[in-house]
Amino acid sequence: MKKIVLITLVVTTALFASLRVDTTYSTLGAITKRVGGDLVNVTVLGSSKYDPHFIVPKPSLLSKLRRADLLIMNGGGIELGWLPPLIQNAHNRNIQNGAKGLLDISHFIPMIDKPSTVSRAFGDVHAEGNPHYTTDPHLVPIIAKAIAEKLMQLDSENADIYQKNLDAFTQKWQEYLKGYDAGLRSCRGKKVVQYHELYNYFLKRYGVESIGNIEPLPGIAPSSKHTLALLMKMKKDGVKTILQDIYHEKKTAKFIAAKTDAQVVVVPHDVGAVKGSETLEKFYNTIAEKICQ
Amino acid sequence: MQKKLLLSLFAFSSLMANSETDALKEQLQLQQETTQKLLSQVEMLEAQQQSSANTSASFSQNAYLPDIAMILNISALSRDVKNSEYENYAIAGFIESGDAEIPFNAKRSFNLNYAEFAIHSVVDPYFEAFAYLHMHPSELEIDEAFVTTTSLPAGFRIKAGKFKSAFGRLNEKHQHSWSFDEQALIYKSLFGPDAISDAGVQLQWVAPTDTYIMAGVETLQGSNERSFGDEDPNLFVGYLKSSIDIGDNLSILGGVSAAHGQTEKKQSSNVYGVDLTLREQLGSYSSLVWQSEYLQREKDVDTSTDSQGGLYTQLVYQFNKNHSVGIRYDRITKNETDLSAYAGVDTDNLERYTGMLEYKPFPMSRLRLNYSHDRSKIINGTRQDINTVMITLNIAAGAHGAHSY
Ligand SMILES: [Zn+2]
Repeated sequence: MKKIVLITLVVTTALFASLRVDTTYSTLGAITKRVGGDLVNVTVLGSSKYDPHFIVPKPSLLSKLRRADLLIMNGGGIELGWLPPLIQNAHNRNIQNGAKGLLDISHFIPMIDKPSTVSRAFGDVHAEGNPHYTTDPHLVPIIAKAIAEKLMQLDSENADIYQKNLDAFTQKWQEYLKGYDAGLRSCRGKKVVQYHELYNYFLKRYGVESIGNIEPLPGIAPSSKHTLALLMKMKKDGVKTILQDIYHEKKTAKFIAAKTDAQVVVVPHDVGAVKGSETLEKFYNTIAEKICQ
Repeated sequence: MQKKLLLSLFAFSSLMANSETDALKEQLQLQQETTQKLLSQVEMLEAQQQSSANTSASFSQNAYLPDIAMILNISALSRDVKNSEYENYAIAGFIESGDAEIPFNAKRSFNLNYAEFAIHSVVDPYFEAFAYLHMHPSELEIDEAFVTTTSLPAGFRIKAGKFKSAFGRLNEKHQHSWSFDEQALIYKSLFGPDAISDAGVQLQWVAPTDTYIMAGVETLQGSNERSFGDEDPNLFVGYLKSSIDIGDNLSILGGVSAAHGQTEKKQSSNVYGVDLTLREQLGSYSSLVWQSEYLQREKDVDTSTDSQGGLYTQLVYQFNKNHSVGIRYDRITKNETDLSAYAGVDTDNLERYTGMLEYKPFPMSRLRLNYSHDRSKIINGTRQDINTVMITLNIAAGAHGAHSY
């Protein structure tokens, strides 16, 4: 059994001279490219144009999963609505639940907002805690390390290259964070509202207070009653910034903005979601700029 | 949890130690030591906690419970034909009067169509198991119960048990995942409400190509009486499916299928199908899907061969997260069979028009208004147009797996 896995691994590496890695989202893909370098061939399954909870399980994604040596997923339940049938129908034993080629990054992340009770009466809650952790740049080194270690395990021949890449990337990232954090100090104590709780990890990290969401419950469309209540709260607290993602309707945010003199800012949720967020650094720069301008 | 936090902190600080000045290194060294101390404290505390739990309790398997979902489908219906007459409808050449099985939406006013229990579990590193138990008001039916392999090499997967064949585009779909509440006319006419659903074995292979190509073969009991029905296991199904994306938003899926079996009289019966689905994604919550399928059956009857076929084509527009609207056209296009029993009855132009409007307040619940103008049926020996309006409510509670494409 193990031998066969090894042989297929050797064969695929010989054929393509690289490890085929699929990631469910683009930020994970960008980090994988940084630690994998030329040794990995990265495919992102879920386009950052779309709501990450509702990626369409197109058959073309099956052919991408079919040949993957490694599938890196975000985890925390965010892929529940689209990934399981793809894994079932891609017929790739490398990436089955429990197999060596499946890496769920959420296991490495200290998850926040974990609900003490879970019921769909509260909407489409994330039962395992908030899975939108890639908005916090301080978690990038943890993710990079988890990915690098997995690559070393699968492609032990090149382990020292992955280690070198990881060290170089981590060092560069720590440098980057120094400047980044300094720029965000002025943001502490700022109050915002958001559509879905997409940015909580970032907000928590930099002391920005989220006082409410446009959606009344996770996954439930805005209601006038809830919108009015949010309006009142924003006025009372003097909230002037509304964080809007690219994929939800913008009408409600604009309506609230008009009534409260607040500003709607479109914040990327993933690398490449908005123009000018195509690299990891640009992605986090854009988040900072938008939320703390 | 706490432990994890500490661990990541630890990982974090050890990463930082690789860089920067000696002073920083020293500081981190201190930090690491503190972390380690804290870690051992946490471990101690955890050990204490564990010892306070009931140490005589054992054998709990709660963590291995399968995913279980309940699906409930009910309807309120109005039809301009009496229930007793509708039950005995005929479709010339396909379904004789009194021979139609109508498990869903049979009666005017209220119908509890079914409560279904869907169960899924990973069995071990080699198998996954699925079961769909259909409960109608007066019977329990095993809709599907099968295992699939998860560890075969080279893109192969075997499914064994009782399952819905992957013939065509619609055959495999459960009633609650159809775009319209009534079954496509040609499926109903050729296979009946359960379509090709049988005990058997399936082998599928996904090609290691950039373009999605899937080939499958199945050998089944062949108990479907409408098209087959021999007692010996002798139904063979094969299909080839492929899909390409054009740009980011348009995906095209096409397939060809064939089923070869025998009738009760041990005569050959073959069904062929082609299907095509185009899906344009307009946003995260909006899309336009055009789906069409043509099926044809060649069935030997005594000394001649019946050649019958039909198609449906449908367009579904989802315009936001909660709403979609759709239209479908069904038609029997070929009906070369003995129609002498219907002498004097118009048996041409068998067709149906359907429209629907769907409201999904939440991914787990769906309300649908479905209207059909059905020109395919014979009631009481005469062709009669049937108008049906129904409101159906479908809910999926519990751990319901996502539907495939
Ligand atoms: Zn979410």
